[in-house]
Amino acid sequence: MKRIDALKIIDTFFAANPLVITCGATAREMASFSRRDLHLPLLDSMGLTSAIGLGVALGTNDRVGVIDGDGSLLMGFSILPTLAAYPATNLTIVVLDNGQHASADQVPSQAATIELSGAAEGLGLNTIRCNDAPTLDAALAQSKSENRFAMIFVKIEPGNSPDIPLLLADPAVLAQRFASAVGSSSQR
Amino acid sequence: MKQINSRHGALVAGLMDWGIQDFIYVPSSHAAPIIRSLESQGVRAVMANREEEAVGIAGGLSLAGRKVAIVMQDNGFGNALTALATFAIQYHLAIPIFANTRGGLGEYNSMINSISESVPSILERIGVKVIELGISDSVEVWRSSTKAVAQLAKIQHRPNVTLFEALHPSLEEVE
Repeated sequence: MKRIDALKIIDTFFAANPLVITCGATAREMASFSRRDLHLPLLDSMGLTSAIGLGVALGTNDRVGVIDGDGSLLMGFSILPTLAAYPATNLTIVVLDNGQHASADQVPSQAATIELSGAAEGLGLNTIRCNDAPTLDAALAQSKSENRFAMIFVKIEPGNSPDIPLLLADPAVLAQRFASAVGSSSQR
Repeated sequence: MKQINSRHGALVAGLMDWGIQDFIYVPSSHAAPIIRSLESQGVRAVMANREEEAVGIAGGLSLAGRKVAIVMQDNGFGNALTALATFAIQYHLAIPIFANTRGGLGEYNSMINSISESVPSILERIGVKVIELGISDSVEVWRSSTKAVAQLAKIQHRPNVTLFEALHPSLEEVE
């Protein structure tokens, strides 16, 4: 599965929920086909995505989605025990694992040779592994129906979609729209 | 276990006056009494393993509309710098940060001053407002300033940092 195909599935699933999106090609590919007020794309801040998602989830009753990457998760790996220590039952983290830093000239990440999901599982986190669109669909549905924290690791193809434009949005505007939408969403 | 002294108690009171709902902390022996005091008063606490992680979690809570602060030690700003610059500042996040200082009177660590003494200028260089509370400031000033800087973060939609002086435990007054 290509990253952009996984993003389309996740975007559909979280169409009415807050969604924090990791930086680089992931945020750009998402913005190329979907921009919502409930999206919080990170324009930098690599390594913070899951931490930000945990904060949002602790601040709202809505189910919150996070799209992280293997490289970003590795950069902020200390969030894994924190997720285990402070379980947010309304948080679903999807790690798109292509085994490389696709936005950094496709340099291989350590995930190319180690299995990241094992660390999450070892910490007692609810861990689901996927390899294709049907299993990703099923994992997302499962995380919602069980109403508990889930960390979904998805193996995707390496590389980036071609001809994706840069994401040149003002982060302050993105944040203001997101905060307003999260507030409105929580009041439903 | 260290007891909370009057100035640190005033800092906690200032945060309660502000209406703090959550705080993220990175453990510090000097800030431990503040952390315990906030927890004992029912403020939800999340312990982060690194300071940039604390900025991320606090930022998420702030975006969700919560009144959230960070409690840490000043030597952790080396870790937190990119998160502050690219996330908290750029996304206009209201996060008051309260950090105890190191490297001053009573310090027992021979090297920590090499980061701690540079923290105010580093933070100012990236555009973070820095407020300093010292032992020469009255208890009343600690309390009112704490509330005021937290309000300022909300008003300005920006993080700010309060560096509060904390003597070595053996030199601190204990109520």
